[in-house]
Amino acid sequence: MVGLDRLATVTPDTVVELSGAWKVYRQRVRSARLGDIFGNLLRPEVRIVEALRGIDLTVRRGEVVAYAGPNGAGKSTTIKLLSGLLAPDRGRVRALGMDPVRDRVRYVGRIGVVFGQRTELWWDHPVAASFEWKRVVWDIPRPRYERMLGLVRELLGLDDILRTLVRELSLGQRMRADLALVLLHEPDILLLDEPTLGLDVLARRRILTFIRELNRERAMSVVVTSHDMAELEQLAGRIVLLHQGQIAFDGDFTELRGLLSGRRVLTLETSSAEPPRLAPAELIRSESGRHEYAFDATEVRLSELLDQAAAQTEVLDVETHRAPIDHVVADLYEHWLRTPAAST
Amino acid sequence: MVAEDLLLITGARRLVRLWALYGRMDLLFFARGPHTALPWYLSEVVVALAAVTATFLLAERFDDIGTWTRPQVYFLLGYALLVHGLIETFFSYNIAFISRRIGRGQLDHMFIEPLPLWMILLAEGFAPVGATSSLLPGVGLLLWAASQLHLAVGVAWWGLFLVNVVASMAVVLAFAFAWGSLAFWAPRAAEELNSSTYELSHQLAPFPLDGLSGIALASLVTVVPVGLVAWYPSRILLGLEAPPWAPALLPAAALAFVALATWIFRRGLRNYGRTGSTRYSDSGHRR
Repeated sequence: MVGLDRLATVTPDTVVELSGAWKVYRQRVRSARLGDIFGNLLRPEVRIVEALRGIDLTVRRGEVVAYAGPNGAGKSTTIKLLSGLLAPDRGRVRALGMDPVRDRVRYVGRIGVVFGQRTELWWDHPVAASFEWKRVVWDIPRPRYERMLGLVRELLGLDDILRTLVRELSLGQRMRADLALVLLHEPDILLLDEPTLGLDVLARRRILTFIRELNRERAMSVVVTSHDMAELEQLAGRIVLLHQGQIAFDGDFTELRGLLSGRRVLTLETSSAEPPRLAPAELIRSESGRHEYAFDATEVRLSELLDQAAAQTEVLDVETHRAPIDHVVADLYEHWLRTPAAST
Repeated sequence: MVAEDLLLITGARRLVRLWALYGRMDLLFFARGPHTALPWYLSEVVVALAAVTATFLLAERFDDIGTWTRPQVYFLLGYALLVHGLIETFFSYNIAFISRRIGRGQLDHMFIEPLPLWMILLAEGFAPVGATSSLLPGVGLLLWAASQLHLAVGVAWWGLFLVNVVASMAVVLAFAFAWGSLAFWAPRAAEELNSSTYELSHQLAPFPLDGLSGIALASLVTVVPVGLVAWYPSRILLGLEAPPWAPALLPAAALAFVALATWIFRRGLRNYGRTGSTRYSDSGHRR
């Protein structure tokens, strides 16, 4: 895969800058064999995991950046570096002109972080109590607090849950409340680590719409991680794909599709339930005479596939379309799995 | 100097505001379900009293324990309950059980608050309503004992009392933080370590340690400093320690323990900054 690596270019409106950021973890490897007990104790084997390998990345004011990659690619580590929860082993992390670790108190007062699987809300209190807690702990001036509270109440439709105990909220309601909480101090940067994890379609749509509107109206910079490519495409103008701790792609979604531009899906409806064999297309699924194939338009022409099908069975209907972004990225991940990291 | 003073005043004001916030939240939590909160509170009082019952019954049965008269033993028990009660009131919600917060990966929540860590540690565990199950019996027992002892209570005595209480609390917390910091390196294995350290100080504090061998006594004021939680300060406050330097010993020891705990905790924090948290559990987070 040809990556479109970009070096960090710092401009006056740069709000996030990672320069050659490395993060390495040490993991003890333990054998399950009884005979290795003393070996594990005396000379434990340590595996070095390079979570980030010299990341260069800038984010501009008002930019929404989708940050994606397979599990273990380094997404959460990057979010933690940007939240000031971790320090890089090498390289530099600057955001809003500050070092997130050294200037933690000042810095976290200007950012908002949401970890999809965690909540900042107070479990045994109504949602409104957590908002009041936020106002005092973040020392938010009353006028700003009232203004932002009004905004999030309206955009996220919170009126029906403000007096509900947090532990009684559904996952979607809780996530809306968490998003509202993180915005009350009007952060300059919003870091979202899988914010829609486990949500239903409606809750996802509300949250995505909200983030888009917020970005449009307030020019808030957003870095969002997710495994859902369609969701990221709706949200972000730019996507950064990580692979084994390095940036393998940095560009917009059209460029990303262009990398695998030949990828198509062909759907055939035939009179027989048996799917025709179409070389070199790959059968994805077949159900009640409806068969779906994936093929690369740069390798085989559609007309050739249709000829093959017609020769084997009666073709009733034909549909063809570009592969969804999820398939494109899944292909990329699969390709990376087969490719050594150095080649990316 | 002026800037430092201002910073101190601002910090103190902020801390008072945070205490007011957490106190209000604690009251609301308690008041929201009194039908469940009251039985729970009463059971906590029973547990607190159970910790001093053995010594209490011994004093009742034999009238005195060693050189300690019965009212003096009550004073010791009241003091022990007071110290633990204050710790529970100001450092509840797993601040005194810091190994749980570290081991469960919950320090992340603290680090994204725009406050210095020391201020979060001082403020977030404040529970002046729901966590006073040891404090109120402690104050009651202390007043009862004092009325029987006919203590000459003046400003100097109150000053000494205050210094000793703060020093005793500092020793308990330092012991908890020093051991609890192990969770920085072994989050899963050490997560519940502070349950043991806390129980140790809670259950061994209300015993008069006079008569123990030199080595045992030295161990109980240094390695496992339960003797500094109630026994030694009670001797000072009851005038049972003769040397003029004796009153300075506990504050000095508290400073040493706090310095040691701070050093270990800071090393743990540095490690946390390098490795982050390898696990996360929301158990006990945000009551």
